Amino acid sequence: MPLSTQSQDDEEHYVLVASLDNARNLSNILKAITFKDHAVFTATPNGLKVTVEDSKCLQANAFIQTEIFQEFTLKEDLVTFQINLTVLLDCLNIFGGNAVAGTSTALRMCYKGYGYPLTLFLEEGGVVTVCKINTQEPEEPMDFEFCSTNVTNKVILQSESLKEAFSELDMTSDVLQITMSPSQPYFRLSTFGNSGNAHYDYSKDSDMMELFQCTMTQTNRYKMSLLKPSTKALALSCKVSVRTDNRGLLSQQYLVRNDDGQICFLEFYYCPDEEVEEEEEE
Amino acid sequence: MESVLEQSVAANPELFCPAVFGRAVHALSRVGDELWLDPTVKGLALRSVNSAQSAYACFIFSPLFFQQYSFMGCVPKQSSKTVKCKLLMKSLLPLFRCLTSIERNVECCQISVSASSDWVIIQFFCRHGITKTHNLRFQEKEALQAEFASHLCTNVLKAPARLLGDMVMHFPVFQEEITLSATPLRFSLRNYEESGESQVKMMYTEMSLHPEEFEYFHVDVNSEITFCLKELRGFLSFTESHCLPVLVHFDSAGKPVCFSVEDTLFEASVVLATLIESKSTDSIQPVGIQVHATSRYVDAAALRVHACEGHGETGRERITSSQGSTVSPQPDPIPPLPQTQQANKESISVNTSPASSMVCTLLFKALSSEHDDNVCAATPPVLAGYSDEEMMEEFCPKSPSL
Repeated sequence: MPLSTQSQDDEEHYVLVASLDNARNLSNILKAITFKDHAVFTATPNGLKVTVEDSKCLQANAFIQTEIFQEFTLKEDLVTFQINLTVLLDCLNIFGGNAVAGTSTALRMCYKGYGYPLTLFLEEGGVVTVCKINTQEPEEPMDFEFCSTNVTNKVILQSESLKEAFSELDMTSDVLQITMSPSQPYFRLSTFGNSGNAHYDYSKDSDMMELFQCTMTQTNRYKMSLLKPSTKALALSCKVSVRTDNRGLLSQQYLVRNDDGQICFLEFYYCPDEEVEEEEEE
Repeated sequence: MESVLEQSVAANPELFCPAVFGRAVHALSRVGDELWLDPTVKGLALRSVNSAQSAYACFIFSPLFFQQYSFMGCVPKQSSKTVKCKLLMKSLLPLFRCLTSIERNVECCQISVSASSDWVIIQFFCRHGITKTHNLRFQEKEALQAEFASHLCTNVLKAPARLLGDMVMHFPVFQEEITLSATPLRFSLRNYEESGESQVKMMYTEMSLHPEEFEYFHVDVNSEITFCLKELRGFLSFTESHCLPVLVHFDSAGKPVCFSVEDTLFEASVVLATLIESKSTDSIQPVGIQVHATSRYVDAAALRVHACEGHGETGRERITSSQGSTVSPQPDPIPPLPQTQQANKESISVNTSPASSMVCTLLFKALSSEHDDNVCAATPPVLAGYSDEEMMEEFCPKSPSL
């Protein structure tokens, strides 16, 4: 273990110690949710959850399970703090953002608890950097009360099929409209831009559609500006699940494989645009 | 007063119609900012003109290009009545932006134009059960028309497919105009700079060819013409990708030059104004061979269409359902189906077989093209909207550069 610069005292005081042989397994996934400066870190015995929110309409969560870490020690049931995500990412990439073949940055992340900074020990090629980032009082993340019992429609798609659609979306449209239905058009993304409308329809029989469970026809609109951050997550992912509940809340879950092939999750919740809410029962 | 275009094409996976169509759009986008889409009985015409009105391009796809081409003027007396739509290039070009993706993924492309609404509906039926539907608003406009009597040109050349493209490649990207010089013994292209500009810092490029390099070389009158390069480049990109020989019709300076190609399934041309002040040795004496301006697809009379009274309902936002879904936040402004078809009047169902109620155009992978060399057919770009005087003015401005 190259990061042996800590004293025994410190070790005892840390409430959270998390180590990764490859810091990219954390930084890559965090990049997908860096649409705001601040994030709330929540550590539980299950692993690390990083939450970013925007204007009370959007919440993004990154989940890095305990198994991903080479070491994950938690002295309390729940450790949570707020931190500047941009600064954190800068530190994680302190040896340069580009991946050089054969080398990786090792990370040891340590936290003594409330009021203490987050300490990062980063090592690459024998060079060690210590970063201390101030933490803040964590804001309570919104609870969208999105639970599976309220889910009306759910599809799981291979990300590849959505990537092209998202790259072509008409950005002059203020909203993205999502229609999910047990009948035609099944799953539809629509935009309303300056020159006209566009609709992307995915048939339920498509070989890109891994799961199709729609119980009622729903059409909801979401602000396009809020959806932009999720395109980064889409780019990283191999599968995405899209769910709506009876209130029109949208949940997207992205399955991401990291450098070592391990699975992490990214999750986005969106509130529907207030101006239009359409629900029809089939 | 409805005029409905229905085109559809049979699935033939070896051929690449949507990409050809897309390449035509790309070529036209390098001419002007607007595209005129004119469905007629004889074919689908795409045209554009640049803002200076010194360059005009026209692509006409014969009904054979499509698997199914159905043009219906619902009023028999007015069978020549057509819809003339003008689309913004920036609305249409993004749909065809990535041609390789279209070639790879698009199995069928369908275009519908209806006079009763102001929408052009372009649908891509892609692999993996994915359908992309684009509803574009158009403005109903007078047909874009330009007169160019190619059969009156004294000089005609037919260049093998890559020849002209290979020549213009040598000119810098920013080169605006080039001068074409032709005598019975020699053909050359050189860059053109307006006099007065700093001639010390320039790089002059001139390329000459012997007439033998051409498939057909007929120069009656020595001629030196200067015209815009940018629009020509777009056109040559299109022709190269189809390995088609290019016909060049021209006269003396001041008269337009026309570059055209023809295939069994489509024809394309670009007409460029030329500078009047270019040195011109002889007056025009149209002696000799007259190129017959017959077009197999386009009957000049048929293209002289009348402008429809536009409904002018732009600015109305709605979501047109592409698949007959009832999901639609606003009441259905679905174009009514033509009378001859049985109708589920509520919807346009594109998944039903083309023979039934479809108000649509399917543009698809072309039938196999046997490339017969039709040497003499030249393309009359279209018809006159201008008198000769206007044409001179429009096509021969003093500075044709953009």
